[in-house]
Amino acid sequence: MQSASTKEKKLTLHPGRGDTQTAILNVLTDYQAIAHESTRSRRAILNVLEDLERSNAALITKTQEMTEVAERLLQKNAIDTAILESIGDAIIVTSSTRAITFVNHAFEVLTGWSAAEVLGRDIVSILSRENEPGNLELKFSNTIFEVLQGHTHCSDITKPSFRIRKDNTTFPTNSTMTPVWLHGNVIGLVKSFRDITKELDIDKAKTEFVSLASHQLRTPLSAINWYTEMLLSGDVGPITEGQEKYLTEVYRGNQRMISLVNALLNVTRMTLGTFVLEPEMVDLVTLIHSVIHEQKIESDKKQLQLTTFFEPSIPIIQSDAKLLRMVMQNLISNAIKYTSLGGTIELSLCLDPTGTHFLFTVADNGIGIPKSQHERIFTRLFRADNVRVNDTEGNGLGLYIVKAIIENSGGRVWFESEENAGSTFHVELPVGSSS
Amino acid sequence: MNTTHSTSKTILAIEDDTALLGAITAKLQKADFSVIAARSVDEVFTKEFLQTGAATLSSKSVAATLEHLQSLQHVDAVWLDHNLIGTDDGLDFIVKFKANGGTWSTIPIFVVSNSANPDLIKTYAEIGINHYYLKAEHKLETIVNDIIAALSPQPVTALA
Repeated sequence: MQSASTKEKKLTLHPGRGDTQTAILNVLTDYQAIAHESTRSRRAILNVLEDLERSNAALITKTQEMTEVAERLLQKNAIDTAILESIGDAIIVTSSTRAITFVNHAFEVLTGWSAAEVLGRDIVSILSRENEPGNLELKFSNTIFEVLQGHTHCSDITKPSFRIRKDNTTFPTNSTMTPVWLHGNVIGLVKSFRDITKELDIDKAKTEFVSLASHQLRTPLSAINWYTEMLLSGDVGPITEGQEKYLTEVYRGNQRMISLVNALLNVTRMTLGTFVLEPEMVDLVTLIHSVIHEQKIESDKKQLQLTTFFEPSIPIIQSDAKLLRMVMQNLISNAIKYTSLGGTIELSLCLDPTGTHFLFTVADNGIGIPKSQHERIFTRLFRADNVRVNDTEGNGLGLYIVKAIIENSGGRVWFESEENAGSTFHVELPVGSSS
Repeated sequence: MNTTHSTSKTILAIEDDTALLGAITAKLQKADFSVIAARSVDEVFTKEFLQTGAATLSSKSVAATLEHLQSLQHVDAVWLDHNLIGTDDGLDFIVKFKANGGTWSTIPIFVVSNSANPDLIKTYAEIGINHYYLKAEHKLETIVNDIIAALSPQPVTALA
């Protein structure tokens, strides 16, 4: 379309009459076009205005929605704050730089620090803790670092830490630390902890009760033991074959009960921390041979092939022979108990290349441990499903005791096992072990 | 407290549980020992018992009762429990028993207790005993054989 100014130029260039009419027509045509264009533009503007009105309405709706969301968030925040303030566990929230951004009321009560005193401060400087009273735990900042790397941390209730209050008094705690994630990044952590003084007191009372009860049980068990022994020995006259068979069952059952009571007492001593170490010079090879010898009857009964490999350079060590014997007894008797007729058991004792650790291994091709229960195998009173079905004599305390003794001695115990394929237990102990 | 008489050696057996004391007495007698059986330290040191052989629980001075004990009985070895009836335990007994000196301080003592407390066992070792047995874990026969061995200058064969 030509513009009006271009047409005006044409009129000036062609001033004739016919030309004038044509020019007028052209001008009229142009004005009609302009008018049409103007109408179209007006419509377009009206459309835009309508769009704007719609957008405005949508914006108003959105704003209302946002206001409602904000209100809901405020309500949720109020509820969350009320929850955090009302729960008994202390809650502390930090940024990714360990600066404290929130603490709840329980935190203030438990630690003696007010929120105003700790906000913005490094969590490590406020929440130092001890492994046991008087022994500062240096790993706390490492744990914080790991959580800020995205790992969740749960403390072991059987090994409580002791949190230090503002006034330097301490209390036992159980805690968890969880990273706060946003868009795939850790932006801080939430730590909760609680005072477990009462739980520990109750656990101690329970443990002491079990200890006392177990000790009291030993007296009647001794009576059964000794009288059965005298009957079997014919001290009060000869007994028939049938009587001997039954009395032998009574004697064996009683021996099992004594073993259970002994195991319970050992566990309670470990729990109470009253297991006294009695270091002496120990020849590990002799000790293991002696354990094998005392279990030979059971091993022969099942026709097991028991092979041993002891490295010739194993030194005599300063250690607690009774505790080490308990470890060997449990591992070897388990291998015998859970290996089928004619199976094989391999024992080995080696020194690591640095000469700083022993490695004792018991491998069998017995019933093994189901994969799903590997994690619980060292738990107190736990027995794997396949063992509970096939065997009635175990008590689920043996491996718990083994782990406690080995770890208290600075060593470690682990295993590989597959159901129906066998188990291999490894014990690593420092040569300078004090167990 | 009861006493059985025999021409053989005498064991003073102190155990608070009557059932266990009965078993100990029977086993020792089977091994041809004379047995003085008591359930408390007081009972051992009671003058009346030593004179009559009957159990009585009236306390007397240690010196007087030990004097009587020495004059009336010859004890070759002691079978001793730790927890006993009354306020005194096995350790108190040994202190009183050895306090008189002389032959009393050299008589073999075999402690047979159900307490496995290592501190207690250590204390007994320090005070001077021949052996500490955990009752539930040892056969009567084993302990009696050890006593026979301790009292015999010659090696002995195990009891049947």
